[in-house]
Amino acid sequence: MTYEPIWGGIIAWYLFLAGLGGGAFITSAFLKWTKPEATTMRRIGHIVAPVAVCIGLVLLMFDAKAGFLNPLRFALLLSNFGSVMTWGVVFLAAFTIIALIVLVLDLMKKSVPNWLDIVGVVAGVCVAIYTGVLLGVCQTFPLWNNALLPILFLVSALSTGAAAVIAIGILVKPQEFNEIGLLKKTHYALPAIEILLAASLVFITAHTNQAGFNSIMNLIGGQWGAWFWIGFVIVGLLAPTIIETVTLFFSSPQFEEGATARWLSFASDAGVLVGGFLLRYLVIVAALPLTMVVPML
Amino acid sequence: MTRYGMLVNTRKCIGCYACREACQHQNKLLDNEPFIRYEERVTGKFPTTDVEMVPMQCMQCTDAPCVSVCPTGASHIGPDGIVVIDHGRCIGCLYCMAACPYQLRVRNEETGAVDKCRFCVAAVKPGEAASNCVSACPMGVRTFGDLDDPESNVSREIRATGAKPLVEGLTEAAIYYAR
Repeated sequence: MTYEPIWGGIIAWYLFLAGLGGGAFITSAFLKWTKPEATTMRRIGHIVAPVAVCIGLVLLMFDAKAGFLNPLRFALLLSNFGSVMTWGVVFLAAFTIIALIVLVLDLMKKSVPNWLDIVGVVAGVCVAIYTGVLLGVCQTFPLWNNALLPILFLVSALSTGAAAVIAIGILVKPQEFNEIGLLKKTHYALPAIEILLAASLVFITAHTNQAGFNSIMNLIGGQWGAWFWIGFVIVGLLAPTIIETVTLFFSSPQFEEGATARWLSFASDAGVLVGGFLLRYLVIVAALPLTMVVPML
Repeated sequence: MTRYGMLVNTRKCIGCYACREACQHQNKLLDNEPFIRYEERVTGKFPTTDVEMVPMQCMQCTDAPCVSVCPTGASHIGPDGIVVIDHGRCIGCLYCMAACPYQLRVRNEETGAVDKCRFCVAAVKPGEAASNCVSACPMGVRTFGDLDDPESNVSREIRATGAKPLVEGLTEAAIYYAR
């Protein structure tokens, strides 16, 4: 049989936006605790978080056609607490509510209590991890069925969330960009960690079994090879790492605070966002199931 | 307890697709919504090759991954061990399709809900005329019955042919293959 991926672009967008929303909220909380003066960027994160997650949820409902045609059925989503998707609904609901409350408080210029930020950060981490576990419990797909994927998705979520906040911040309030050194350095480390996790995922999956090997070949050399190397590895991981390495560690403070550095950083953040989406998309479409190749046939 | 199951003897199968044809009519399925899928296995070297047709449909697993991932409880194990989809609860998230190790679930493109073999043979009353995968097969490939009853036709045939599930130890499938 020829195998068609069960999920596609819409679900990839959803996984990407859910992670990005969680990451943006965490970025805001990080800014609040390390650089309380950067109020504009913090507010950007507070806006991005619920907006991204809500767009993702709308896409999800659209993709779930039987529910889209009979919306009342979505109320049944809390029926089976053995299902990761049910837990995802719980995390997404909690996160969206918290993110909206925080956004309203921020827009009303009221202070957000620390405990609310902490609960929101925990919910954001849960949302990001859940997007990986959702795929991870499908034991048929060796590319998904491993404990690395949720961690990779979490790191990518933090990375894309911070990239979105910084990129929009550069457009809205460039002067604040020069004050968030710690966030920039933390954000810089994330693609580097992602490279290690992605490489581990590729090597380990290729050595699981025939289906794992075929999935990896499909990913890095087959139909999706060009997207993987150019889009995910170069644009999404290597280019941001190189750009940030040069601007953060090998250039003069004048250059680092200048307009050129700012636009370079903007490009690097855009690359991180492209890479973050492609990671989800490629992992979804390149995975091949076990039973096509087990000795049964 | 009754646990319905089926034996598929691929040694007898000629690959005529009559079982799928009967299934489409019996269950009034859309053209692009087959419950039965065929895999071909070619063994040997030319000129002494052998082609085996393996008809596959929902394995009615006792340890069903589709049931454990379904967030709405639409997929569940009904009486007699049959894996049932309550279409009124299905939101069409396709999680069960991703979880099914055999890729034997299919989405109804009109309703968006997921569907699969319903083991409709079990609903046929004795003496009643029916057209399904078991009755339509001209070669007698399929035997249906109660796996928990050691004296049922299907249990006896499984013993006689040494039939096994397609993948042993995976999901406790109720479809056995003699090959």
